[in-house]
Amino acid sequence: MLKIIGSLMLVTAGGVAGMMVAREYAKRPGELKALLSAIQMLETEIMYTATPMAEAMERVAAGADRRVAGFFRDAALDLKSMAGRTAGEAWQAAMDRFYPRCSLSGGDMSILGNLGGALGRSDREDQAKHLRLACEQIKMEIIKSEEDASKNTKMWNYLGFCGALAAVIILY
Amino acid sequence: MATTTKDIFSGASRGGDAWPEVLSVLPLNLRKIIAGVRPEILCRVEEVRIRALRPLMLGLDSGDAMLTDGGALTDNLHKAYRVGEEEVGRCLQLISGSSIYALEEEIRNGFITILGGHRVGLTGKTVLDQGKVKTLKYFSGINIRISREITGSAGSLMPRIIDREGGTIHHTMIFSPPRCGKTTVLRDAVRMISDGAPECGLPGQVVGLVDERSEIAGCYRGIPRRNIGIRTDVLDGCPKAEGMVMLLRSMGPSVIATDEIGRPEDVRALEEVLNAGVRVIFTVHGSSLEELAVRPALNYLFRLNMIDRYVLLGRDLKAGLVKGVFDRKSIFEKGVVSC
Repeated sequence: MLKIIGSLMLVTAGGVAGMMVAREYAKRPGELKALLSAIQMLETEIMYTATPMAEAMERVAAGADRRVAGFFRDAALDLKSMAGRTAGEAWQAAMDRFYPRCSLSGGDMSILGNLGGALGRSDREDQAKHLRLACEQIKMEIIKSEEDASKNTKMWNYLGFCGALAAVIILY
Repeated sequence: MATTTKDIFSGASRGGDAWPEVLSVLPLNLRKIIAGVRPEILCRVEEVRIRALRPLMLGLDSGDAMLTDGGALTDNLHKAYRVGEEEVGRCLQLISGSSIYALEEEIRNGFITILGGHRVGLTGKTVLDQGKVKTLKYFSGINIRISREITGSAGSLMPRIIDREGGTIHHTMIFSPPRCGKTTVLRDAVRMISDGAPECGLPGQVVGLVDERSEIAGCYRGIPRRNIGIRTDVLDGCPKAEGMVMLLRSMGPSVIATDEIGRPEDVRALEEVLNAGVRVIFTVHGSSLEELAVRPALNYLFRLNMIDRYVLLGRDLKAGLVKGVFDRKSIFEKGVVSC
């Protein structure tokens, strides 16, 4: 009896562990999509209403998915404090604080970093080019991350469960 | 910990309340240098000139001066702090709030007005489109003109432009060479006309102010931040010619005020206002009536013979000094415009 209870516990634990790892993989596409829509919002603010950068970032923060809103709010606050930092620097500082808390990859961050370096430095046409480039790159990453996610989530979901089952069989 | 404007100017304000606004658009190292300037000098500063690869300079009421790294004035070129190329670009980013794209029109005109109504002039390489200036790039020079509100600067002007019988003011043109305080005097005159000046027998009037460059009212997000009187309606950032007609139609002003009339369309709009029975007060660049009369648009204005007071400002001891007041008759007596 005790053996059966122990086995059940082992299988459940293995299954849950596998699912948790799988969920980590599934998070990245979601965050990338949230980021994409936020950057598209920023593009609208810049292109159509020519909103000053700090205010544009604030509006994006107010409207964006909460997974990325903090990042934009952070950058907006930094820029608004008039502490002598440019939009690029405020953006970079916000990225540095955002990265440890998100599931984005180093590659995703470098797309963001390149965009930050160009933000607010040029006329509307040029800003649009940089924003659209970043959007295209993020779209490609979304496709890749979804492929990764579907492979890895399935694998980890099964692996956790089956691994635990195998352990039970060996131990029994 | 980054140095902010507040840190530098904590406690008592040093050299007028204009500095925190100006410093907040400067890169940190320039802030530090200017924070090292003695307060009695700071309050005399009219301009900050930032030119790439050349010394950092302050325009004082007595002439200009270079600054050392520590903020002391110097006339030794080798001791002066030289502004780096990237510092100018950085400064421009701070001035624009990292929003160059939002200021395309301003950059095309060569200046940006920052919070507090300080005008920032820009130079760089121009980009042309069909022979017209499209924008500037490679910014190389920045001139920050510090705008100060001097209450009472129109005190000596007011008694001379008031129409006591009509209980209002005469049509007035204020003219002077640059940097003599035209805008400062106009701002104070607008305040006095709007609030009323009982000591001169002037009741408060509804004033319509067209502030194309945001310099007079110092509007931020459309709301005047300077004291321009309780009965003043401001059209901020509006082209003068259109603005005057808009105010005339919409706000029922008794007096219309604007800055720097000069183009033919401005004069045409002014003529419409003059004919509508509204009093006008405006400024023009120029050092003498004869010089003004050479400009075709202004010559036309002189010939209309409707302006009652021509006020010349000078800067012998301080900016905003009334040097001469001419009326309609003296224009013809002086032979500025032949009949």
